[in-house]
Amino acid sequence: MTDSLLSVDRLAVHFGGRSKLFGAAAPTVKAVNDVSFKIDSQRTFGLVGESGSGKSTVARAILQLVDIHAGSIHLDGTDVTHVQRSAELGFRKRVQAVLQDPFSSLNQVHTTETIVGDPITRHRGVKPGNERRDLVGALLDLVGLGRDYLDRYPYEMSGGQRQRISIARALAVEPDLVIADEATSALDVSIQSQVINLLQDIQRERGVAFLFIAHDLEVVSHMSHEVGVMYLGYLVESGAAEAVYQAPTHPYTEMLVASIPFPNPREQAKRRLLRQSFKTAEPPSPANLPPGCPFENRCPVAMDICREEMPPTSVVHHGGVARCHLHTSGPALGGESVVEFIKSQAKGCVEV
Amino acid sequence: MTAAHSPVEAEALPDKPQSQRRRFWRRMFRNPLAVLSMLWIAFLVLSWIWPELVATKDPFKGDPTLQDIFLTPNGEYWLGTDGFGRDYFSRVIHGAGFAFQSIFIAMSIAVGIGVPLGLFSGWRGGRIDRTIMWFNDVIFSLPIVLLAFAVVIVLTPSLNSAMVGVGIAMSTRFTRLTRAVTLAEKEELYVDAARITGLSTPTILRRYIAPNLLPSLIVQFAIIAGAIILIGATLSFLGVGANLDDPDWGVMLSRSRVEFRRVGIWQIVPPAGALVLTVLSFNLLGDAIRDSLGRDKTSNALTVSKRVSITPTDRPHREDSLLSIRTMDVEFPTGGGDPVQILNGVSMAVQPGETLGVVGESGSGKSMTVLSALGLTPAPGRMTRGSVKFDGQDVTSISEREWQKIRGKDIGVIFQEPIAVLNPALKVGRQIMEPLLLHTDMDKKAARERAVELLAEVKVPDPRRRIDQYPHEFSGGMAQRVGIAMALACSPKLLIADEPTTALDVTVQGQILDLLMEIQEERGTSIVIITHDLGVIAEVADRVIVMYGGQVVEGGAVDDIFLRPRHPYTKALLDTMPQNHHGDDSPLAVIPGVVPSPTDWPAGCRFAPRCEHATDRCRDELPGLEVLAPGEVVRCHHHGELRELLASEWTEVTL
Repeated sequence: MTDSLLSVDRLAVHFGGRSKLFGAAAPTVKAVNDVSFKIDSQRTFGLVGESGSGKSTVARAILQLVDIHAGSIHLDGTDVTHVQRSAELGFRKRVQAVLQDPFSSLNQVHTTETIVGDPITRHRGVKPGNERRDLVGALLDLVGLGRDYLDRYPYEMSGGQRQRISIARALAVEPDLVIADEATSALDVSIQSQVINLLQDIQRERGVAFLFIAHDLEVVSHMSHEVGVMYLGYLVESGAAEAVYQAPTHPYTEMLVASIPFPNPREQAKRRLLRQSFKTAEPPSPANLPPGCPFENRCPVAMDICREEMPPTSVVHHGGVARCHLHTSGPALGGESVVEFIKSQAKGCVEV
Repeated sequence: MTAAHSPVEAEALPDKPQSQRRRFWRRMFRNPLAVLSMLWIAFLVLSWIWPELVATKDPFKGDPTLQDIFLTPNGEYWLGTDGFGRDYFSRVIHGAGFAFQSIFIAMSIAVGIGVPLGLFSGWRGGRIDRTIMWFNDVIFSLPIVLLAFAVVIVLTPSLNSAMVGVGIAMSTRFTRLTRAVTLAEKEELYVDAARITGLSTPTILRRYIAPNLLPSLIVQFAIIAGAIILIGATLSFLGVGANLDDPDWGVMLSRSRVEFRRVGIWQIVPPAGALVLTVLSFNLLGDAIRDSLGRDKTSNALTVSKRVSITPTDRPHREDSLLSIRTMDVEFPTGGGDPVQILNGVSMAVQPGETLGVVGESGSGKSMTVLSALGLTPAPGRMTRGSVKFDGQDVTSISEREWQKIRGKDIGVIFQEPIAVLNPALKVGRQIMEPLLLHTDMDKKAARERAVELLAEVKVPDPRRRIDQYPHEFSGGMAQRVGIAMALACSPKLLIADEPTTALDVTVQGQILDLLMEIQEERGTSIVIITHDLGVIAEVADRVIVMYGGQVVEGGAVDDIFLRPRHPYTKALLDTMPQNHHGDDSPLAVIPGVVPSPTDWPAGCRFAPRCEHATDRCRDELPGLEVLAPGEVVRCHHHGELRELLASEWTEVTL
C-alpha cells in the first residue's frame, strides 16, 4: 500500500451491541471510529487523549487483542488487520509492546531471566542456558539495569526498574515497532524522565519505531515526531508534534494544551485564563454519541452546524489533518491555528 | 500480591521470595493446630507407605484357633482383637492405607479432569465456557454418594470404583475454582504481555496462569481430601465400599456396630477417632495454609493506631498558625527488628486563609505527615515525637473521640479517588447531609436544603435533581465536586486535599482547581493540597513544602520555590519536567538512581546519593532543617553556596 512501517486506515472498534438470546441488546460502545494514521520506520507517533478517548483500544486493535469492526491495518504493506494463526508468530516478532502498569504487566512468579528470556526462546530458538542468559544480560545492560538483575523477581524491584524490564522484554525479539501504552504514566516524575530518555536512546541505537500512547500531551509531544489527538473515539487532530502543540487547529487540542499545569506560577496564571474559556460540561457517553461533533458541548466556539453534522477531516497548516467545522464551515479558518480565534471569541466572558 | 506493610508507602519493596516462603512456614509452625495436623497426616502417610513399621501384626490373619477373639486391650494386642482374633491396632493403622488410596484415586481423577477443564473453559470463554459450565453444574448438583453408587453399579463393586465416582463428582469443584481463577488471571496485564510476546496458549496456561492457581488449589485440595475420606468411610459403612474383611475404617465402624454386644462400645472409638482426627486435620491444615498465604491482618490502613509516649519537642509553634506541626517522627514497628522510621522531624504550618502545597514523590511521606497530624496514623505506625497544634489547641495526644469532634467539622478532607470514598448504596444527598446531622443541630429538612446549596456551590448542574442520584451516576469530576461539597458541609476552617486531581483527566483537573481557589477566595478557608504534581502546586499554592525521604527538604513562598529554588532536589525535580524542555530536542534532565527505602536511609543527607552537588560532608552528616525566615526553611549543607547556581540557571530557562 504505502512505504510506511505501520499504516492504520479508517479503523473502527465497537464493543457490545450483540443481541443475546433473551433480553435486549446491550448498547454498542463505539470505542474507536474512523481513525487513520501512519508511522514511518524509526519514528515515533504519539497518541494522546483522556480516559475514554479510545487511544488504548487502538493499541489493542493493532496488537490483535480486540476484534476490529471496520478499517484496515498494514505493516510494511502487508495486511495485518486480522493476523492468521500461522502468521501470528512472525507478526509478534515485529510488533512488541510496553504496557502501562509496571506492577501487573510482569508475572510475579518468574525472574527477570525468564521474563526477558521467554520471547528469545520463542522467537529465536535459543534454549534456556548460558547463551540465553548472556543475551538477556546484554538487554539488561541496554536498559540500564545491568546483569545483577538477572535473578530478581518483579516484586524486588521499583516501578521504574520494572518498566525497564518490560522494555527489555519488548526489545528481546528485535522488533520494528514497539507500542508503549501509558508506559511512563505510573512512574514518579524523577523516574519518568529516566524512562523517556531511555526510550529515545533505544530509538537512536536500535532504530525501532514507537507508537507512544499517553494522556499527558506534554510527555507525548516531547517523545514524538508526529502526534494524534483523540477525543471520544475520533482522531480530532494529527500532525507534526511541535506544530500541533504550538499552534493547534482543533479547539480540543487547545483545551488540552491550556490544561497542562506548568511548574511556574507566573506562566500558570496566564494559562489559567485561557483554560477557563472552555465550558465545564461533561463529555457525552461513548455509548450514546451525538450526531454532530462530540466536542460541541465543551467547545467555546461551537456553531449550529457542530450540533448537527460530524465534521469531515481537512488538511491544516502543519501538514496534518483536523476534524473541525471551523476549517470548512463558519469562519472557515482554512487550516490555520485556532488559538487566536478562541482568544478573540472568548474575550467577552473572560477577564484577561 | 504484594506483601505486608502497605501503609508505609506504595513504592516500598515487598519481601523477597525467600522471605515470603520463610514467612509462610513461620506462620504455619506458629499455629499449633497446623503443626498437630501436619504431624498426624505425616504419621498416616507413613502408615500407608510402610504399615509394618508402625504395626507389626498382620491385619488380615487372626488367630486360626479362634482363641484370641474379642480380647480387651493388653500388652500384646494394644487395642485388643476383633471377632476373628485379628489385632485391632494393626487394622486401624492399615486403615490409613485405605483412606489414602481413596484420596489418591479420587483426587487424581478430580484434579486430572477438573483443572484442565477449568483452564480450558475459562481461557476460551464464550459459548464453549457456558456449555462446559452448564454440564459441570448439573453434575455438581448431584449427591456425591449417588454418583459413587452409579459407578459401582457400572464397574465392579469395590472401594476403588466408588472412588472413581467420587473423583468425577469432586472434579466439578476443581473445574469451578480453576475457571474462576483463569477468568480473573486472563484479564491481567501480564497475560496480555505474554500474548504480545508471542507465547503459545499452552505455554501461557502452564507458565503464567497455573502458578497463580496453585495456592487456591492447595487449600481446596486439603479440604476435599477430608471430604473424600469421609465419603469413602460412609460408602464402606453402607457396604458399597471396601470388602467386609478389609481393615477399612468404615468397615470397622460397621462391624463394631454389630459386634459391640460382645466387646463393648469401645471398639467404635479407634476407627471413629482416626476418621474424625484425619478429616479434622485436613480441614485445619487447609485453613492454616489459607491464613498463612494471606496478608497480615494488621495491615489495614483504616485502623488508627494508639498514641503512646510521644517525645515532646522544644521547637515552638507559631502563635498565628491554624495548623502547626513541629518535629514529627512516625515509626512503623517491624516483626522483631528495629522500627522503620517513615517520617523524621517534619515541621510545617498553615496560616489562616492560605493554601499550602505539600509536594513529593511516592514514599516521600507527604500523605503520612498530614494523616498523622490529624490523628490518623495508619496502624501499626505511631507518632513517637513531635507536637501538633490546631486552632490554638494542642492536639498532639487527644483521644479519638475528641478528634471526631474536630474532623469533619473544623477540618474537611478531600480524597484522591472520589468514587471510592462515596458509599455506592446511598444517595449522594444523604452522604452530604451526614456531617451536617452529626455536627450541627440542623434537622433533616434543613440539612437537605443545605446539601442542595452546597452542590450548587461546587457547581454541580441541576443540584435538586442530582441530590437524589447514586454515586455511579456521577463522572469522576462530578464525584470529586460531591466530595468537596461533603468536606465543605460544616464550613471547616481547614480543607485538606490529598491528591484531589490525580485520578481525574487533565481538562477536568483545571476545573477542580478553579473550584478550590474560588472556595478559598469566598470563604477564606485554609487549604493544604498534597500532590506529586509541581504544576498543580504552581497553580494553587501560596506556600510550598517539598518533601523527600520522610523529611521536609525545603519550604517557602511559591514564587521562591519555583523561580529561586534553594534545595538541589527541588531544582532537579523542576528540570526533569518536560514542560521545561519545550522546543529543544535535548534529552530530559534526570535524577539518577532511585528514591531511598525507609528501611535503608542513607547515613547523611537523604538526597546525597542522587545529588550532583553532594560532598563528603553531605554523605556523612544529615543536614538540619534551617529556618531562614518565618515559613522559609531548607535542609541542605550547601544552600548558601548553591544559591546563585540553582536560581540563575532556572530563570534563564523559563523567562
